[in-house]
Amino acid sequence: MTTTTPARPTAPPAVRRRRPGASRRQGAPWAFLAPAIVLFVLVLALPIAYAVYLSFRTEKVSGLGLGSGSRTEVWNGFANYAASLADPEFLASVGRVALYGVIVVPTMLGLALLFALLLDSRRSRATKFSRVSIFLPYAVPAVISSLLWGFLYLPGVSPFYYVFDRLGWDVPSLFSSNLVIFAVANIAVWGGVGFNMVVIYTSLRAIPSELYEAAELDGCTQVGMAWRIKIPIVVPSIIMTFVFSMIATLQVFAEPTTLKPLSNTISSTWTPLMKVYRDAFIRGDLYSAAATSVIIAVATFVLSFGFLRLVQSRAFGQEK
Amino acid sequence: MTTDAAETALVAETAGSRAGSVLPRTRRVPRTGHRSVGERPSGAATAILLVGALYCLLPVLWVVVASTKSGSELFSTFTFAPSTHLLDNVSDLNAYRGGLFWRWMANTALYAGVGAMLSVVVSAMAGYALAKYRFRGKTAVFNMLLAGVLVPGVVLAIPQYLLMAQVGLTNTYWAVLLPSIISPYGIYLARIYAGASIPDEIVEAARTDGASELRTFAQVAMPMMAPGLVTVFLFQFVAIWNNFMLPYIMLGDDKLFPLTVGLSGLLNQGASQPALYTLVITGALLSIVPLVALFLLLQRYWQVDLAAGAVKA
Amino acid sequence: MRLSTGMKAAAIIASAALLMTACSSGDGTDAPAADGPVELTFWTWAPNVDKVVETWNEANPDIQVTVNKQDGGDPAITKLLTAVKAGSGAPDIMQTEYQKIPTLVSADALADISGEVADLADQFPEGVWNDVTLGSDAVYAVPQDSGPMQFYYRADIFEQLGLTVPTTWDEYAATAAALQAADPTKYLGTFSATDAGWFTGLAQQAGASWWGIDGDAWTVAVDDEATLKVADYWGGLVESGVIDNKPMYTPEWNAALNNGTQIGWLSAIWAPGVLEGNAPDTAGLWKMAPMPQWDAADPATGNWGGSATAVTSQSKHPEQAAKFITWLNASQEGVDLLVEQTGVYPANIPASAEALSEPPTFFANQPDFYEIAAETAKTAGSFTYGPNVNVTYSAYNDEFGKATEARSQAAFTAAVEAMQKVTLDDMVSSGFTVKE
Repeated sequence: MTTTTPARPTAPPAVRRRRPGASRRQGAPWAFLAPAIVLFVLVLALPIAYAVYLSFRTEKVSGLGLGSGSRTEVWNGFANYAASLADPEFLASVGRVALYGVIVVPTMLGLALLFALLLDSRRSRATKFSRVSIFLPYAVPAVISSLLWGFLYLPGVSPFYYVFDRLGWDVPSLFSSNLVIFAVANIAVWGGVGFNMVVIYTSLRAIPSELYEAAELDGCTQVGMAWRIKIPIVVPSIIMTFVFSMIATLQVFAEPTTLKPLSNTISSTWTPLMKVYRDAFIRGDLYSAAATSVIIAVATFVLSFGFLRLVQSRAFGQEK
Repeated sequence: MTTDAAETALVAETAGSRAGSVLPRTRRVPRTGHRSVGERPSGAATAILLVGALYCLLPVLWVVVASTKSGSELFSTFTFAPSTHLLDNVSDLNAYRGGLFWRWMANTALYAGVGAMLSVVVSAMAGYALAKYRFRGKTAVFNMLLAGVLVPGVVLAIPQYLLMAQVGLTNTYWAVLLPSIISPYGIYLARIYAGASIPDEIVEAARTDGASELRTFAQVAMPMMAPGLVTVFLFQFVAIWNNFMLPYIMLGDDKLFPLTVGLSGLLNQGASQPALYTLVITGALLSIVPLVALFLLLQRYWQVDLAAGAVKA
Repeated sequence: MRLSTGMKAAAIIASAALLMTACSSGDGTDAPAADGPVELTFWTWAPNVDKVVETWNEANPDIQVTVNKQDGGDPAITKLLTAVKAGSGAPDIMQTEYQKIPTLVSADALADISGEVADLADQFPEGVWNDVTLGSDAVYAVPQDSGPMQFYYRADIFEQLGLTVPTTWDEYAATAAALQAADPTKYLGTFSATDAGWFTGLAQQAGASWWGIDGDAWTVAVDDEATLKVADYWGGLVESGVIDNKPMYTPEWNAALNNGTQIGWLSAIWAPGVLEGNAPDTAGLWKMAPMPQWDAADPATGNWGGSATAVTSQSKHPEQAAKFITWLNASQEGVDLLVEQTGVYPANIPASAEALSEPPTFFANQPDFYEIAAETAKTAGSFTYGPNVNVTYSAYNDEFGKATEARSQAAFTAAVEAMQKVTLDDMVSSGFTVKE
């Protein structure tokens, strides 16, 4: 049984029976893992290490800063971290993303569960069409989907506002400061609901039909069956979708960045990652950007650590 | 976050159904097309589903309609009033910088196709090793690989660029392909599929017959994992297809761009040039078509193997 | 920035591993020119530059230029700066907006080509030449086009509503109010919080120059009197609601140009191309006039946009590159082709007269288009950009975003003060010598 505590030896040597070829097999897993590990180190671990290194450094300019040799890279200790944590814009972006997560995650998963249950219900029709349609947004890259929704949001070109106008309703712009977070959240929900629906639906389909037959014999209604049998069984998958959606929420970047030029209300530090982007790409300050990234990664890790353990113990608990 | 959410969701799904698999391990008869006579169709249930479908289709429908409009119609006629300029728009797009759009399409297919294929091979090997061998450091390696999901692409883009530049790989196909091959999610899934679909007895039998470890993997394990690996392929394919940040940073030559970067460039022309909306919209429509086709063709696969993997576990 | 030894070692191991698993690494962009022609890469965002370059390539088999089309403005600069940090990957030749030149020079991204092009100085307006030399003896680029600002308006709607073209800012405010009174759906213009370059042009017209070099120190004056005056003026218009507060370059703005709800645009000489692209059906309905003035007796304008062509510090062939950009921006053939293919307003004085004999097709109704343009171009004030323009511009987006959304005149001047603070703090913390 695999354990989640790295300190404990994974293979109890006492009970292992020596078989021919066992020594050869010692190297085999590492050989199979080698491509993954090499690539991991090259394209993930090294850049991460490099980013951590940069987060402790900064660039100092001398004089007018013109011409070669006027910039030198120096150690900066924890100053970049201190600056990030003390930056009111960063703290505001964290608060905003928390609110955003509170809007997006329950809405997205709630709709996903609802659609999955309806797809699974014997009384629904047009299920194949609905399933494919709801899943379709998954095929649209965030860069494009934000453009599409931008057209649908802007009162001057939106069909919704056209209708509101005809009805004589004065509906405020979705880009006004109170509503813009919903405008962004909607794009995330739109893009994510179909996938989560398919996920939950698939685990619903894995429920043995005997269970339903028994329930039906007991006179259980479809709704009762959903509440008493289906939802409890898919709860583990919902919990996990929840936490992983939360990680994705902390990393929200593409949608607000694409909507930004359409509005006055999305600032360049609207989400934590947008601040990273601004520092690194617009201000040319890789060092602060690296420090903020490390803070975000650590926060994500802390938030999801307990959960990863849970995933592991559940998913691999049965592995011999 | 579409892609990330989807990928995370997939992980959660697989783990979740395994968690649910303590139930009797009987294959359930698919209920579609097997509706009992007494079952009344529910108007409310169907209506809710159709509203959901409409919500998800609406922006896509918008793309379809908008791509039939000329440049001025796009901003002057009612949103959902179609026009007749689709072919003009396609031919404009075709004419843009000597058919560069098709090159972007081909590049994207290359990045996504080759990248996902290599990713499947690497993930399958790693997943097989993690599921079917006992060795010191296994948990540590697995945790390390999985921790990759915690670090967002935006953060990595510049360090990746700087390191790629050290070996002269920036502005080449490799700059986009190499980072696409490693997928923590793919490895995670492959481990689950290997654990669920390959009985230890069969591996032992192959070894007793004198097959090498590599041969056992390639000829015995891989075929058993195949349906699961199709899923890994699909997800990695879509993830690479939709990727923006990595190619955006790595590539300077627009002949190497994938669709996302190319189309976004058509929008960001700077203040002194008009944004090429009709080209972008037509391009967006054409770029969605292959993925939709892929969904329709392979969705069946998806359903089956996820359920199968979970039930057999 | 250099990698530490450990990093280098890791990178070498990495490269070995990559080569083993990955075959050949695709062809790099700057091929060595031991024998055979010199090959130069050229990053530019202007459309159709590749067609201009074709003519050069045919006539110069020894210096072959390849165009890599980039996203407009900022993204290309970002990529160039990253490539400079990495030590490789930059093109030989780079199109850059004037305001980015100090940033690029400060990052050591541009080569000094004074040896090759210093004698071009008298072919360009003084202010523009100053932008590419930063007032020093070095020359970092050759000016390509400039963007003097004018007022563009829907002549048909002006006539229909009996409005006269404003010549002063007071008249502009009165016209905006009169238009709103006549038709509340129509606006004379919008204050765009997403276009920092536009606001900079307006401030420049009022006499601002946000940075300066005083001996060995920078000066920062984003919140000078002229800029505060401009911000206060626009804040008043937005607060009273006679001017719209939505950003430009959005689908909504395009729709407004098409349906005649935005009937004026304070823009620059390249406006015809943008209007033609965004609202093709309004051809012949627009006219151009000089900017409204603060002091009618002393006409002035600002610049918005305009760019130069530079040789990067990573180019192995700066001499050949300089030769090419001299042809491109300072020869009759090059300038004619630029005007014909890309529609820019060339900065080169001797060549522009011939190249600009006809008005742009979208403004065929205004035969004296380029005569008015030339008159206004002469009145552009000088403006010095600093090494952290991006910081200031991004502060503009954030601060004016809040102010326009709030529609508050007081917030407009506060936004300027915030921009000054952000700019100054950034320069001080980076270590620039700044005179306060």
